[in-house]
Amino acid sequence: MSWIKATLSFINARRHPDEIIREVETELRFHIEMRTRANIDAGMKPDEARTAAVQSFGDFERVKNTCCELRRGLPFDSMLLKMGLHITIAVVAGLGALWAVNVPHHTFTGVMRQLIAIGVLGYLFIVVRRAKSRVALGGPGEAFRADQSLTSDMTGASAAKITAYDEQGSTPVERVFKSE
Amino acid sequence: MSKSKAGLLQGTLDMLILKALSLGALHGYGIGQRIAQISGDTLRVEEGSLYPGLYRLERRGWIESECDVSDNNQRAKFYKLTRSGRKQLIVEEQNWERLADATMKAMRVV
Repeated sequence: MSWIKATLSFINARRHPDEIIREVETELRFHIEMRTRANIDAGMKPDEARTAAVQSFGDFERVKNTCCELRRGLPFDSMLLKMGLHITIAVVAGLGALWAVNVPHHTFTGVMRQLIAIGVLGYLFIVVRRAKSRVALGGPGEAFRADQSLTSDMTGASAAKITAYDEQGSTPVERVFKSE
Repeated sequence: MSKSKAGLLQGTLDMLILKALSLGALHGYGIGQRIAQISGDTLRVEEGSLYPGLYRLERRGWIESECDVSDNNQRAKFYKLTRSGRKQLIVEEQNWERLADATMKAMRVV
């Protein structure tokens, strides 16, 4: 039931955004640390090894932000599941409205119910708007489009670069061969 | 220096990551190393691509992560394939083989 874990992870990411940033940073720094060690093993001095590892990594902040955005995004891409989510929210909103309206307005309980219902509906509205903006093109997928690439070095004399695009599948992967 | 461009199947990186993880759980750095290793040092995944790719695959439920201790006794995030990830890898491999076959057929035409 990996989708349940993914959903729980999504909810957790919404509740503790700082934790997500720390988690991503730790992971990326671990990578740089490993690369530094490999460079040292390959004969570099520690300072050089560290500098080379950082340079090899590229734009740390950009990668970090892209990962954080992906981590905070909805845990699924399927249009059907998105529709299911919208329908569920609509049903919850409808039931909430009935629950709030179906009580004498002048009583303290009635007013409290209405306030709670307004709060819950407002929260759902904000969550859906934010989630939709992240899933839509121009969100993390856009940053990913620019980032994703593979390099291939077959003989030292030639290099190939493969650039992949966003998760929507709207653009192709591109390979650029360079030969000297 | 000359340059030529050719289109490739979308999702090549996804397939490589899934393939690397099909051989066992790994942290991000290890995945990059394994892809280099299994491709005979032909392919190197750039870090700027690898991590967003991992987070995207995790979001899709094809891989999952958990913290564990690495070889050098540091805590690290390890990724492993999920059941749906294993199924997806089979689909990706089949798609890739079809594309490669079709491309080869097209290239052999005189």
